[in-house]
Amino acid sequence: MAGGTIELRVTRYRPDRSPTPWVDTFRVPYDDDTVVLDALNHVKDEVDGTLTFRWSCRMGVCGSCGMMIGGEPRLSCGAFLRDLAPGPVTVEPLRHFPVLRDLVVDTDDFLEALREVRPWLIPRRDAADGDGEGRQTPAQVDAYRQFSMCINCMLCYAACPVYGQDRTFLGPAAIALAHRYDMDSRDGGRDVRRRILGRDEGVWECTFVGECSAVCPKGVDPAAAIQRSKVDLALRAWRVVWPAGAGR
Amino acid sequence: MTAPPRTGGLLPPMPRTWWLRSAAYRRFAARELTSVFVLAFTVVMLLFLLALSRGPRAYGRFLGWLGSAGAMALFAAILAAGLYHTLTWFRLSAQVQVVRVRGRVVPRGAVAATLTAAWLAVSAGVAYVHVWW
Repeated sequence: MAGGTIELRVTRYRPDRSPTPWVDTFRVPYDDDTVVLDALNHVKDEVDGTLTFRWSCRMGVCGSCGMMIGGEPRLSCGAFLRDLAPGPVTVEPLRHFPVLRDLVVDTDDFLEALREVRPWLIPRRDAADGDGEGRQTPAQVDAYRQFSMCINCMLCYAACPVYGQDRTFLGPAAIALAHRYDMDSRDGGRDVRRRILGRDEGVWECTFVGECSAVCPKGVDPAAAIQRSKVDLALRAWRVVWPAGAGR
Repeated sequence: MTAPPRTGGLLPPMPRTWWLRSAAYRRFAARELTSVFVLAFTVVMLLFLLALSRGPRAYGRFLGWLGSAGAMALFAAILAAGLYHTLTWFRLSAQVQVVRVRGRVVPRGAVAATLTAAWLAVSAGVAYVHVWW
């Protein structure tokens, strides 16, 4: 059984106090069940109430507690201190996002990219009103299931050097969610999303580093979604000369 | 995105050395860098055709250069880089392309292994034609 205390090195930023970030060091108690989020809450409750960070569910579902832990993008509710012992453990805000305060980043650009790709079912033109509940076979569900697991935690954006260099890039999660609906047999919005994904800041920006998939806490594979969208767009362009070669 | 990126908040610029941050980034940079060697091989082939088009003397000089230590070193580097580039792309191809056999998804490792085996078979065929025919 692990236990004792461990050192946290937390990057702090408060624009009202200093124009540049600094690092505060805290020694926190931990045992087998303590995660970084627990440690941050300990600091906030017992040591420094001004420490600011986002969290909600504490169980890897809400996607709000992502941060850089030991230099890697991780959910703080899933990062056990026993695995990071003996420390010190560095805790920084998510990379590639503007920092508003301490560990809180501005997510507006991601939310805008998400809205742009229409991550919802757009009814097929051939689906008449009253068609019923839109049943699917297990194979049809399997075509998009893993992509539907995305919790919008933005760890993939923090792992993506392309997004770090060009923040107009739609990014891994938004494209994975576009792909999720593109692959849904009930959806008829693929042509709409093709126009968005095919733009300069869409899938073609991706150079297939692949780290977006490596860091995803839910097992989603955005890198595959992006490359498959590239294939779809390329086949679509090719359809001019080879009509049978493009998908639906 | 339609809207330009917001500028609120502290956003340090990405350092030029970002690719040194992790082993995965370094592997990516190596994969991209090896494409330069693939390009170099293409350039050598174009020079080969150019020498051929300029007559026997130019072609002879080119063949002489091919036998030099410098050319051997270059081709050794091209071969090593080409192998790395090819094998990494086969692995990534398996991530991109879902292959189903009788309705079941084939594991990525098996797809990459099949691609590699097919590539080795084609290479062996080309080598056979080149060396023994």
